[in-house]
Amino acid sequence: MTGVWALLGALAVAGAIGVLLKVREGRIYRRDSVDLPAPVRDLLAPGVTLVQLSTTFCAPCRHAKVVLSDLADRTDGLSHAELDVTNLPDVAAQLGVMRTPTTLALTADGVEVLRVGGVPKRDSLLAALQPHLP
Amino acid sequence: MPKDAPVDPRGPRFSAWMTTVVLAVVLLTGWWRLLAAQTVLFAMCAFISLKLNPWGHVYRFAIQPRLTPTTEREEAAPLRFAQGVGFVFALIGTLGYATGLTTLGTVATALALVAALLNAALGLCLGCEMYLLLRRYAPALARPQSQ
Repeated sequence: MTGVWALLGALAVAGAIGVLLKVREGRIYRRDSVDLPAPVRDLLAPGVTLVQLSTTFCAPCRHAKVVLSDLADRTDGLSHAELDVTNLPDVAAQLGVMRTPTTLALTADGVEVLRVGGVPKRDSLLAALQPHLP
Repeated sequence: MPKDAPVDPRGPRFSAWMTTVVLAVVLLTGWWRLLAAQTVLFAMCAFISLKLNPWGHVYRFAIQPRLTPTTEREEAAPLRFAQGVGFVFALIGTLGYATGLTTLGTVATALALVAALLNAALGLCLGCEMYLLLRRYAPALARPQSQ
């Protein structure tokens, strides 16, 4: 009988996690700027840079890369760079990033404009970035 | 650790459904030998090659020919990492059931089932997205995979 309850519990938990992650996918939020680690600072370009943190084991990172590089190609003053943090866990920790893909929008001075968890939604991201673009 | 070529993403989804069924049967029956077999399967896929997965062969011979071909490919590294995470939970579950710690066996199997079901139904790989979290709090689990 315990097994039946465990199975029902597992189904419920999986459903809850699934809904939660789908709702939060591509969510845009803001955090206070931190001192950027050197590997991130090296990627900054004029205008706004979308720094996408990825790992080797992250399947959705590829989708995020396609969305972001296309958006950057079509938008003036916006560039995209991917940083593989598989072997740079300290960089991820310093930025407070726990899941990949996470994308940080940073100005040339290293000020954080916003960040996105999961695969970004193109239109809402562009709208949120608009005030910071030339 | 040899590298696998990228795969048709529908194969691993099918495989995840089969894993979900196996884990559900284990939960309902407490049949630890079946869980032990699943543990071995996870280990072979994670540490040797995804090609050893029998569900992959079933998919290629029985299901793929009936589907529209796709050019979409998924990298093997995340898939193998996921199998490694499955291996850890299945191993704990097997040890739990086999030594009479049934609660431990049940909880570990239920957690493995949550991960397998999310993978099957939504294509979500929790362990892959949370790799950084795992590496931070369970470095021994994450590190051998990153070599």
